[in-house]
Amino acid sequence: MQSSHTESVTREFPVHLEGLGKEYGHFTALKSLDLTVPEGTSLGFLGPNGAGKSTTIKIMTNLIRPSRGRAILFGIEVRQEPTRALARIGAVIETPEFYGYLSPLETLAYVGRLRSMSTSQIEHRSEAVLKGVKLTDWADHRIQEFSKGMKQRLAIAQALLHEPELLILDEPTSGLDPRGMAEVRDVIKSLKGEGRTIFMSSHLLGEVQEVCDDVALLNHGELLIHGSVRDLSRGADTSTFQTTFLRSPTPQELEALASVPGIVEVKAEGDSTVDLRISGGEEGQARVLEAMVSRGLKVITYRPLGSSLEQLYLDRIQESDRL
Amino acid sequence: MTASPLAQIVTVASYEIRKYIRGRRLLGILILVGLIIGLFLGLPPALGTPYASNPNAFVSTFATFTGLLVVLNGVLFAADALVSEHEKRTGYFLFPNPVRREVLVLGKIAASLIVSAAVISLYYGAAAIAALIVTKSLTWDVGLSYVYALSYMTAVVGIAYLVSATFKSTVAATVLTFFLFTLIFSIVGALLPRAKIDPWFIPTSASGIISDVLGSTAARPGPGGEVSVGFIPDPATSILVFAAYAIVGGVLAILWFRRRELSS
Repeated sequence: MQSSHTESVTREFPVHLEGLGKEYGHFTALKSLDLTVPEGTSLGFLGPNGAGKSTTIKIMTNLIRPSRGRAILFGIEVRQEPTRALARIGAVIETPEFYGYLSPLETLAYVGRLRSMSTSQIEHRSEAVLKGVKLTDWADHRIQEFSKGMKQRLAIAQALLHEPELLILDEPTSGLDPRGMAEVRDVIKSLKGEGRTIFMSSHLLGEVQEVCDDVALLNHGELLIHGSVRDLSRGADTSTFQTTFLRSPTPQELEALASVPGIVEVKAEGDSTVDLRISGGEEGQARVLEAMVSRGLKVITYRPLGSSLEQLYLDRIQESDRL
Repeated sequence: MTASPLAQIVTVASYEIRKYIRGRRLLGILILVGLIIGLFLGLPPALGTPYASNPNAFVSTFATFTGLLVVLNGVLFAADALVSEHEKRTGYFLFPNPVRREVLVLGKIAASLIVSAAVISLYYGAAAIAALIVTKSLTWDVGLSYVYALSYMTAVVGIAYLVSATFKSTVAATVLTFFLFTLIFSIVGALLPRAKIDPWFIPTSASGIISDVLGSTAARPGPGGEVSVGFIPDPATSILVFAAYAIVGGVLAILWFRRRELSS
């Protein structure tokens, strides 16, 4: 009865985490995580190393048990019915190892057979996913010859084989070179375009901003922020601008800069370069530039250091670390 | 989209067998079996001693090595089957699929039993053919010895899986399985009679029926020559002991493996 209720309540949310917590002895890896991911959206699960991202994903994919709470995928509780819950997902957890004695084609056939795919389906999909991750030329080679990046690409291929409705990706670009990272991001973006739901952990903010609609920030096992990338970027209080002047500002000029309305912090970074932390969004940034020019400071460059979301991320992480 | 548990067991077993065929372990044990058969057949004429004249005595020479061969099969084809999924991180790719852990264990056990049985069958097949050529006859006792060897194999595989499910290192699981059957059980089996306890429940003692059925004194290799295994339970008890170790070992391995978490 409870199961059917859960299914009906959470059907529109492929991912529904309810009070999820995990303890390893006296160490709390995850406190009490409540999170939902609506169908067809992509969530970036952000946080520094040890924040609890992988713990959450391992609970979602039945690799570990939660100490409390529930992970529900498509309305099915993972602990109670793991095979049903996992049937509609594709997952890449960390950088998995594969059986070295098999080739990518054989590995995909193994996964396909476990998932009851027909031989023709397996052949057709294997060709497509290997092409997608640029492993076609290596399709018949033994995996024992593969680099970490190639294994990561194969991991993505096996996760996509059965065309899952939900993709759970734990740092999917880990171990890849810049070109490989860009290729994987393109694959994820095209899947997003197809309307698949994506739950992707990363510690790379730029990656999440590029790929995801929503973001959830985790630190010390606790959810700090959850919202859309756009709203959070707009709502971020401050951003840092690297400003280079024609000549080095004097200490008096730096002091005067600090008193300009909208400048929260002044940090000299070199002879003529200063990092200015500015509040007030885009309006505030324009006001500060005007004020500097009106005070006779000759500004050569004035460019954002990272995004406002990055600043928000760093602020919240620092705040959480202080507590 | 999920295959039936039985279809999944068959799939897992077929890929495990492929692993053993492509790996060097099967090749290694086949070379060892070839060497042993060569020694048993080649040494008597080389030393000028005649072969045994009746099939039971002839095959019993081969049977002295059967116990160790069974243990080697357990070590090579079972002891690291589960622990390696954790240690080598292949579980990160396999476990998020819609397949129950017990299905994985059963598939792997099936593969271990099939490959081990194939090696033992080859060994007994060679011994039986040689006995037929040399003595011109064969008895049902040879077949019984073969059946007992297969039964002992199930016990070794069951315990090897239990060790594999509980340990964190493939090396530790492999070494423990080997010494458990070549040393620890043998020592316990040898010491228990001193305390006036028949070691009928010790699998290495029960494995004495493999040779005993052929009419020879059950013995195991030891320093300075063969050492008698001493007390040997009757065949029915031995079979039950093997079955108990196989079933209890296998069931506990499944339960342990189901509970075990995959965390690095």
